[in-house]
Amino acid sequence: MPQKEENKTAFIGFWQGLLDDWMAVLTRPNIETYIRLKERATSPKIVLNLALLGLVIGLYVLTIQPPAFIQTDSLLLDLGRLIFYTEADFFILSLILFVIAGLLGGTGGFVEHSYLLSLITAPLGLVIVAFLFVANKLGLTLAAIMNPLSSIGITTIFIVLFGLYAFLLLLFALEAAHEMESHQVIYTIGAVLGSWGILRVIAMFAAGEDNIITQESAFLAEEWARGTLQQAILGHLWMVAFSVFIAVVIGVVMGVLITMPPKRPSVSHLFFLIPLGVFFLIWAAPKGWLGMGIADPIMEISDTLDIGLTRAAKGFFGPLLSLLSAIVRKPAAVGMIGVILTVILYALLLAGESASELTLYIAGIILTIPSIALFGVFIGPFSIGAFNAVVALTLYAQLPILRNTYTGIKEVKPEIVEAGRGMGMTEFQLLRNVKIPIATPVIMAGVRVSVVMLVGIAAIASYIGNDTLGDYIFHGIQRVQPLRYYAGAITVAVFALSMDYFLGWLQNRLTPEGLKGRR
Amino acid sequence: MIKLEHVTKIYPGTTSPAVDDLSFTVPTGEICTIVGPSGCGKTTTMKMVNRLIEPTDGEIYVLNERGEMQNVLEMDPIILRRNIGYVIQQIGLFPHRTILQNMGTVPKLLEWDNTRIRSRAEELLDMMNMPHEFLDRYPHELSGGQRQRIGVARAMASDPPVMLMDEPFGAIDPINRNLLQNEFLRLQQEIKKTILFVTHDIDEAIKMGDKIAILNANGQLEQYDSPAKILSEPANEFIEDFVGADRTLKQLNLIRVEEVMDKKPFLLQSTQSVEEALQVMDEEGQDYAYVVDSDRRLQGYVSRKDLKEKSGWIDEYTTTAATSLPITMNLRDALSEMLMVDYSTICVVDNRDRVRGTVNTAMVQEALMETHSSGKREEV
Ligand SMILES: Nc1ncnc2c1ncn2[C@@H]1O[C@H](COP(=O)(O)OP(=O)(O)O)[C@@H](O)[C@H]1O
Ligand SMILES: [Mg+2]
Repeated sequence: MPQKEENKTAFIGFWQGLLDDWMAVLTRPNIETYIRLKERATSPKIVLNLALLGLVIGLYVLTIQPPAFIQTDSLLLDLGRLIFYTEADFFILSLILFVIAGLLGGTGGFVEHSYLLSLITAPLGLVIVAFLFVANKLGLTLAAIMNPLSSIGITTIFIVLFGLYAFLLLLFALEAAHEMESHQVIYTIGAVLGSWGILRVIAMFAAGEDNIITQESAFLAEEWARGTLQQAILGHLWMVAFSVFIAVVIGVVMGVLITMPPKRPSVSHLFFLIPLGVFFLIWAAPKGWLGMGIADPIMEISDTLDIGLTRAAKGFFGPLLSLLSAIVRKPAAVGMIGVILTVILYALLLAGESASELTLYIAGIILTIPSIALFGVFIGPFSIGAFNAVVALTLYAQLPILRNTYTGIKEVKPEIVEAGRGMGMTEFQLLRNVKIPIATPVIMAGVRVSVVMLVGIAAIASYIGNDTLGDYIFHGIQRVQPLRYYAGAITVAVFALSMDYFLGWLQNRLTPEGLKGRR
Repeated sequence: MIKLEHVTKIYPGTTSPAVDDLSFTVPTGEICTIVGPSGCGKTTTMKMVNRLIEPTDGEIYVLNERGEMQNVLEMDPIILRRNIGYVIQQIGLFPHRTILQNMGTVPKLLEWDNTRIRSRAEELLDMMNMPHEFLDRYPHELSGGQRQRIGVARAMASDPPVMLMDEPFGAIDPINRNLLQNEFLRLQQEIKKTILFVTHDIDEAIKMGDKIAILNANGQLEQYDSPAKILSEPANEFIEDFVGADRTLKQLNLIRVEEVMDKKPFLLQSTQSVEEALQVMDEEGQDYAYVVDSDRRLQGYVSRKDLKEKSGWIDEYTTTAATSLPITMNLRDALSEMLMVDYSTICVVDNRDRVRGTVNTAMVQEALMETHSSGKREEV
């Protein structure tokens, strides 16, 4: 009698324990919970968790959607088979995850690992089945539910949130089971998904399936073979590289100027009259303001250069030469920009730090102008084409650089500057040997932001007539060819990512050794 | 030599001067400490010498290597600064440059060639008792004390005759600070720079300074004198308060045991027989005696009680002495050592552990009485 009593309590205790674990997972989803639950892992509990899920799935499948593959007429046998499938699927998946986690440095045992996974799978699985059950009763198809434009499309949000929640739980479970770092867990899941994806794509091509992925890659291959893709990539690359180069020069100079103390005008500043005069001449002469005698030779030089550059514009440097020719073709515009820039730089030289707030404020405002609008505004003075694009892109790109140069230099510790000054460095030596090297990582971060931003904006520049990857997007939209605009979007994204990666490497290279180990 | 004449600084936008009509002269090869309450204008005074701050009024002269007095206000500040060593509390080492490059900052500005810079840097590391491996390290790879040494070494790189030091040891823990102070004083014996040394700590000012300039909160000079004079003859109540009630004790800082010890102490040789020893002790009326070997190295001490009715050699009955004092120790430290052991007389030894004399509290007291009455310790 007491024996039986004891068994009964043990039985109740077992179920209570299992229920407790479920509740713990669902209500307190954090690492500590999982680490605690790990201690209570036993094989029977795993099997039971999955059996429960399998049972519910079985009931759902058999009552709601009796599928064709159920052949036996014994309900119990079918149920048993479905439970078995559920268990088997779970253990296979769990094993794959376990092996990959082990390869990536996981240390947990298979039972603990599987138990934690089953604690997620079972309750969440039940929720999904319940959801499907309700949807089925209401006569909804999966397509309708997932369509964000349909009336019940709002469910999509919940489904996405639910998926994220499940993913988070999976992260916790793996982290707890294997005592891994978060990034190792991400790699593990990534490896599983990645290898599945690769296998799937291989299978797709092997079977000669006709779907969006195969079609898109065929389209890209075709464009590549015709050479148009390379041309667009090169055009894009040079557009970005040229604008960023100018932007770095202007942005760094301006950023430095607004960290310096204000200056009084002095005789040596007359030097500024040289660029001012030259640019003014280039501006005014072609307009005929100074008489035809000066206008003609300048236009002649401009034409000669343009013709030479256009003729030479082939191969890898082709797009760059085209850009340059677009610039020499507009001497008046170059002169005007030169005059404005000279005046701004001199004003900043005099105002120094007292202009920093205003400058950064204006820079911030310009950044908020939509690029399409800016291109549009510049059509007036510069008409359409590469010149307009370069001006707009340069304007955008130098803002993050300007801002980061300013902050980078301002962040140099005052005692370091004082020590340098106290040892007899001139202001220029301080800047070149101390402030700028120490600010380099911050400045480079600004360049990185600029470049990635420009890769995107350069695509839009195709709207005012430039050969960039944006062509694919705009033409695709005009001609209603999804393959074409997907191609543009994909290549631009890959372009931006690889530029970011390259600049990250460059940033690391340019950071002075002594600044690297410090935190 | 550094000479300030009626130097005044009024910061723009303020009415009361930060430094008010300051005049004093630091003789060549001496350390002058500037001390005073926080915000009294110490840093301002120092920075006017290398023109990081321009004086509102007054003249400042510095003796250059060619022995000419130069008016710093008439010099190019860049040239001036390259010829004046400069050390600040926060050190300000360049984090992106190696120790070699840091130390080579001024030499590089003076366009020395690289081999010369390197050998000078090695020489400086030797002076600072630091290994040459440090040359290729970065500042963040050094401890605080090591960084501060490099900061001092960097200021000395081009061997400038004049150095400015603004609380150079201020950010270092007391034990390391003491160490750095002693090291620096030892170094100064060799390099004999003319140094303006700012500190807010009167003890440091007394310890480091050949001269002390004490400023009040209004940036006026209250007294400029040698440490001994300032301790024994404070010019006014402000100085008395600033120096503190324990100024008599502080004077002990300035006297070394060597100056007060009994230079012909009663000693026994470890090779003497017990009989002989007892006899000598009777003659001298001593109950205890220190025992030395043939090289005068301290072996320990014997007491008459231990020797009584014994025979053989005294080294069998010698007890090791708990403490001896180095000959260069100052009286303040010596006194605290003496108060911690229970024998009245302590041996003073040189750096090779040879007994040079003995000292007891009575001698310390006597020395104090003497400085107090004469007020001129330099002449002792
Ligand atoms: N750049 C400055 N502008 C205005 N007042 C200053 C400036 N630098 C220091 N002061 C003022 O001058 C006085 C002396 O400063 P400082 O020489 O740094 O003092 P200390 O080094 O003795 O602590 C202080 O009252 C301080 O507030
Ligand atoms: Mg100060």
